[in-house]
Amino acid sequence: MGHTATAQAGSGGLTATEHRLANGLRVVLSEDHLTPVAAVCLWYDVGSRHEVKGRTGLAHLFEHLMFQGSASVPGNGHFELVQGAGGSLNGTTSFERTNYFETMPAHQLELALWLEADRMGSLLAALDEESMENQRDVVKNERRQRYDNVPYGTAFERLTAMAYPEPHPYHHTPIGSMADLDAASLEDARAFFRTYYAPNNAVLSVVGDIDPEQTLAWIEKYFGSIPAHDGKQPPRDGTLPDTMGGQLREEITEDVPARALMAAYRLPHDGTRECDAADVALTVLGGGESSRLHNRLVRRDQTAVAASFGILRLAGAPSLGWLDVKASSGVEVPAIEAAVDEELARFAAEGPTAEEMERAQAQLEREWLDRLGTVAGRADELCRFAVLFGDPQLALTAVQRVLEVTAEEVQAVAAARLRPDNRAVLVYEPLAADDSDANENENEGAEQ
Amino acid sequence: MSDTAAVTMTFHPRPAAGQPKPWAFPAPERGSLPNGLTVLRCHRPGQQVIAVEVNLAAPLDAEPEGLDGVATIMARALSEGTDKHSAEEFAAELERCGATLDAHADHPGLRVSLEVPASRLAKALGLLAEALRAPAFADSEVDRLVRNRLDEIPHELANPQRRAAKELYRQLFPASLRMSRPRQGTEETVARIDSAAVRAFYEAHVRPATATAVVVGDLAGIDLDALLADTLGAWTGNAGQARPVPPVESDDTGRVVIVDRPGAVQTQLLIGRTGPDRHDRVWAAQVLGTYCLGGTLTSRLDKVLREEKGYTYGVRAFGQVLRSTADGRGASMLAISGSVDTPNTGPALEDLWKVLRTLAEGGLTDAERDVAVQNLVGVAPLKFETAAAVAGTLADQVEQELPDDYQAQLYARLAETGTLEATTAVVQAFPVDRLVTVLVGDAAQIEGPVRALGIGEVTVVGN
Repeated sequence: MGHTATAQAGSGGLTATEHRLANGLRVVLSEDHLTPVAAVCLWYDVGSRHEVKGRTGLAHLFEHLMFQGSASVPGNGHFELVQGAGGSLNGTTSFERTNYFETMPAHQLELALWLEADRMGSLLAALDEESMENQRDVVKNERRQRYDNVPYGTAFERLTAMAYPEPHPYHHTPIGSMADLDAASLEDARAFFRTYYAPNNAVLSVVGDIDPEQTLAWIEKYFGSIPAHDGKQPPRDGTLPDTMGGQLREEITEDVPARALMAAYRLPHDGTRECDAADVALTVLGGGESSRLHNRLVRRDQTAVAASFGILRLAGAPSLGWLDVKASSGVEVPAIEAAVDEELARFAAEGPTAEEMERAQAQLEREWLDRLGTVAGRADELCRFAVLFGDPQLALTAVQRVLEVTAEEVQAVAAARLRPDNRAVLVYEPLAADDSDANENENEGAEQ
Repeated sequence: MSDTAAVTMTFHPRPAAGQPKPWAFPAPERGSLPNGLTVLRCHRPGQQVIAVEVNLAAPLDAEPEGLDGVATIMARALSEGTDKHSAEEFAAELERCGATLDAHADHPGLRVSLEVPASRLAKALGLLAEALRAPAFADSEVDRLVRNRLDEIPHELANPQRRAAKELYRQLFPASLRMSRPRQGTEETVARIDSAAVRAFYEAHVRPATATAVVVGDLAGIDLDALLADTLGAWTGNAGQARPVPPVESDDTGRVVIVDRPGAVQTQLLIGRTGPDRHDRVWAAQVLGTYCLGGTLTSRLDKVLREEKGYTYGVRAFGQVLRSTADGRGASMLAISGSVDTPNTGPALEDLWKVLRTLAEGGLTDAERDVAVQNLVGVAPLKFETAAAVAGTLADQVEQELPDDYQAQLYARLAETGTLEATTAVVQAFPVDRLVTVLVGDAAQIEGPVRALGIGEVTVVGN
């Protein structure tokens, strides 16, 4: 079944070709001449899961150093040259990979390839103590801004720590700890580069208004002489039982505006049909304004301001189902938790209705069309499937696989995984209201 | 020191650019329906997710006295049930189309945004028309939205960025002006809103004759005229009357307000004042100069505050239109925003002021100007790749009473703007003695160092 009214849209009609240089660099090219732009995306097969104890956050800190110049590119040259050419660029680090990307006006494609090759082959020629110290401070401020200085900011860290118990490689998140960021040395960064930044540990995709033959010739010219090496160690074993075998729980009292119930469920690995089924299940349960949890908690019980349930797809460890409910004022968490459990149990027993399947699959289809609707989104997905699953072509048929999932499969994965004994729970309780002067100098925002 | 021993690759000189391919901001086709609805359409081949933006002439200053937030509640209530569907049914039908529908009330007016795969446009347009034409505004749904909104407010106040914005608007504008108060209302005003107030606001301000629909995407094979006639064409209403728009006044006397947040590990900065809107001839030069000041990581502010000192993850300068009218009496917010770690708050502000003074004294360089123009003009094809981006900009132009070719003209103006013109514009936009600085942070730690800077009177307010 599945709803293929827009089957040829976005994903349909797209093609990609694969190539491999002698040094092991895998290349994926995809032509699209509708707009005169070209996206370059480079995935290195290294993420926070490769980090060792005492050096959490190193993969991400290192990603920042990749923008501090290389042999032919001084200082902030990567940013200056790309932006000066009318392009945009960035990099991100996750558990499983580090990616770097530029979207360029089509006639500036060669510059982006030259820049990526220069830092892949010669970063250490420019890397120095000054950039290291500076970017260490920048990343610590990134951590403060995104996690430490916002309400509920450390929830993700706390839940993943419970869902992937020590010494699991996903126990810590990519941002790392302040202490480890302080401890990272220039020599650590150099060793990290020598270990993981090699053409045979990367996939390069180029998508958009390109001449594939010319593009491949440029790639050969700029990347072809970068030596391969085999310094990389595989990440520590991420094998875990399918379910947690018991409920883990943390209750914290913090300076937050309202009570909250959050939970992480262990779900099937990305790349499996069960993972696609879990995605549909979570969309039915908590993926929008017509989802079961929204209808129950926000519309009917009116116990929550917002309720969502989404999936974090992971290939090297069980994926995570991510529940986030912010309580309405005066509502206690047990009332919400009981309603959530009731909805999940009912869903596991009865499965989704045909209409719920249609809605969830239509939503997921639009999300895929959005992702594949830009050259940058397409380039990233091609790299993702090449790095994590060995086949970039899978990106072009991903939406079809989600549409093929059946109601029975959705029910089966819900029954197996969305259970109280397969989750880590985090409950937030706001600090008691203070009747005295609001300006008094109490250290109420400090870490508990 | 460096590690040249590791370098063994073959280097090549930096490549030159190829031949640029022509690209122009898309020109929409303008028309209207018999009910008076203005329609802008734009065919974008390959964009399978269609974007529809509807502008409603329901600005925030039209909200009745003491009912701040009624435009927001009305916007949300549009999709909470109609004459044909209950609230839950409506949400379900919309998601069955794979569509998203958002509505947002702001100073210039109310905006409804629909995104839907092309194959399901007909059904989704029908739902959109239903929401605009015959919203139910049931008591129970409006009450629920009011309670939900009241529960959201503490979350917004806890967010340092939102808290800073609330204070800056309160500082800049006189209390009599709607702009001085939160867009989505306060606990006091939202609590007063009921379905009668929502319906009254709808009847006073929502009608096709003063609305515009923008439709962008791959329209090949779609008979848009027939679709519109069956959907938005069935919406009726009278002609409506133009509302007088009060002038925007603001007080940008240089001063500092600290919103005390004991224990905060960072200080949120928001430094701003008001400036002209996009009808002013200075706009292009101001965009260019503001980019050079704080548009990106290699602009003047981040070059020092981030890439030299490491005080921040990033600080940006920007201009954002608050309200814009053809008579030129609108205004924009000119601001610098970011967060810095608590112990370095004083030093970061000192450096920030130094950057502004250096800019005023020495001006921009030609090289800076050139790179900025190349970026601002060059990124256009990337920026407007999706239907949603094009539709959003076209709808902004309508809302701001600008011509349909404004964006295209802006690129031409940017390209011909010189270094001196850009310098003058940005220096006038950010004069060091006419900036209101809001700091959300730990007063006990930052007040002393900030006072010592002498950038204006310092006041501390409770969180």
